[in-house]
Amino acid sequence: MTSFVQATLYGLLQGGLLALIAVGFSLVWGVMNVINLAHGAFVILGAYIAWELNSTLGLDPFLGMFVAAAVLFPVGYALQRGLINLVINAPVFITLLLTFGLDLLIVQGMNIAFTANYRSIPTSYAGKSLALGDVRIPLGRLLAFVVAVAVTLLLVAMVTRTRTGLSIMATGMDRGAARLMGIRARHVYALTFGLAVALAGMAGAMVGTVGTFNPAAAGGYTLLSFVIAVLGGLGNMYGALVGGLVIGLVEAWAGQYLSGTWVNALAFLVLVLVLLLRPSGLVGRAFYAARVEV
Amino acid sequence: MGASSADVGTAAGVETPTARPPAEARWRRLLPWAAGVLVLLACFGLQTQLYTGQERTVTTIFMFVALAQAWNIIGGFTGYASFGQVVFFGIGGYATATLMYHLQVNFWLALVVSGLAAAAFGALIGLPLLRLKGHYFAIATLGVAEGMREVVTNLPDITGGGAGITIPTVGAKASTPYLGNDGFYILFLVLAALAVLVGGLVSRSKFGFALRAINQDEDAAGSMGINTTRAKVTAFALSGFLVGLVGASYAFQQVTIFPERLFDVDITVLMVVMVVIGGSGTVLGPLLGAVALQYLSEYLRQHYTQMHTFILGAIIIVAVILLPQGVVNYAREAARTRQFSLLRNVRRYRL
Repeated sequence: MTSFVQATLYGLLQGGLLALIAVGFSLVWGVMNVINLAHGAFVILGAYIAWELNSTLGLDPFLGMFVAAAVLFPVGYALQRGLINLVINAPVFITLLLTFGLDLLIVQGMNIAFTANYRSIPTSYAGKSLALGDVRIPLGRLLAFVVAVAVTLLLVAMVTRTRTGLSIMATGMDRGAARLMGIRARHVYALTFGLAVALAGMAGAMVGTVGTFNPAAAGGYTLLSFVIAVLGGLGNMYGALVGGLVIGLVEAWAGQYLSGTWVNALAFLVLVLVLLLRPSGLVGRAFYAARVEV
Repeated sequence: MGASSADVGTAAGVETPTARPPAEARWRRLLPWAAGVLVLLACFGLQTQLYTGQERTVTTIFMFVALAQAWNIIGGFTGYASFGQVVFFGIGGYATATLMYHLQVNFWLALVVSGLAAAAFGALIGLPLLRLKGHYFAIATLGVAEGMREVVTNLPDITGGGAGITIPTVGAKASTPYLGNDGFYILFLVLAALAVLVGGLVSRSKFGFALRAINQDEDAAGSMGINTTRAKVTAFALSGFLVGLVGASYAFQQVTIFPERLFDVDITVLMVVMVVIGGSGTVLGPLLGAVALQYLSEYLRQHYTQMHTFILGAIIIVAVILLPQGVVNYAREAARTRQFSLLRNVRRYRL
């Protein structure tokens, strides 16, 4: 029983972090209909920024993640404005290829700059854990969970309550109508992508605190983001949170009770099943199906 | 290849309203086939001029020509962007490896069985998956490929698991002697020729036009009497068959195979990149794209070892921005409309 509670707790904590990793991916996909294959690369890039700040300035990664976000936001904005906006109306595989090219550039760039060695950001407190009876709560993961959920909820509030957020949603629903209302779609798209990249960077800083990372891990985070975004469903801002928690729990339980690496196969099985049975996601509506592309 | 002669035919037809003599029309239609046979013969001749390292490089180019042609059938003609086509590569490779390892089956028999197994798997997963569209289809196929890799990894008794499986090539257990560099050159050349042939036949057949109709408007295609489900599943299985054959041959060439390599998502992405850069929905495009990109990749690997992937990424980005419709489609449109500006071309998909 204790092991089950422990696994559940671990799954929930991991799920919160996964939600933050995927929320930007889900936002970009939902608003622009672009699948960003470089998403995982931005996560790792954020981890390296936080690592660099920590090793040269001694900055705590939970502060460093804000710097990472601040550095990556303009990068994302510029990429969307100068590059992705150029092919936004092209068939599916064009945008997929463009972001794949970006992924190659960033991952190989990181390989050259930082080598392929595994790293982690050392802190004095992340390795400690609170004991609750027989169950142990790792402090670093708890902090990461709290921050991840808070940031995700802040994003939800921003998107649903501020004018900027509403313009993002409006452009996602019907770009033509949004442009007629005076919304600058190019700017809004760039803003959305910048936001997504910044959030990925923040998540990366926490990934680096609670575990290890290297450039090759980027692809794995992109795939996880896929699964979570699909699971949660697009067009619902809580989707990534629900999807992240579900995947976190599934992986934790499977890791406890299944042998070998069957746990990896399970995530993709869940993905394909959800796509086939409920393509709008667990909490999503058939919201984007009726979207008009102009 | 197929459509180019058709374009030339219409252009000539506009200039001279009188019907062209049927003999000339027949010649024009035969031209791509004749060119194909000449290139095939030239490739056989080329083999005598290459030393071992070059021969291997060219063999890899042939492999990617076959893969790109196969992807073009489902991704180019039909417009279903499969991002998990490598699953057929893996299934073909592992079918051959397990048949030859456990049952000492002859390679040529195993090759055919592997192709058929891949096609059957394609039909099986195609039925549910091809109901999805756009990104959802792309991701579902990706999920199938990644999931399949994990399944293969977790069945060590049959597939050798993550430690890999080695096809016996010497001794009493070897059912077919190893083909060697020369043998694999010819094998992959034949596979590439087969894939181009299939692409050419599909391109001109009623089936090919059904696929193009599905690409443009699936509902309209259905209302015109096309059984869209059957056409899509057939295209997917046909593509899977070709990829399965290539995977089976690759497994025998490599002798020892691992799940990470046989289900490597990069192989899928390379197929897509080659088709898109060459020109999707054409027969010539994937051929040119595969030759150019694989040659370039090999050149960069040898001359800029560390920067190789970096430069490749940059090239993909530039190519996708400047020529989103591919070289062949761009050249045809430019020849027809006399608009050669690449910047004009960029504006097509811009926001």
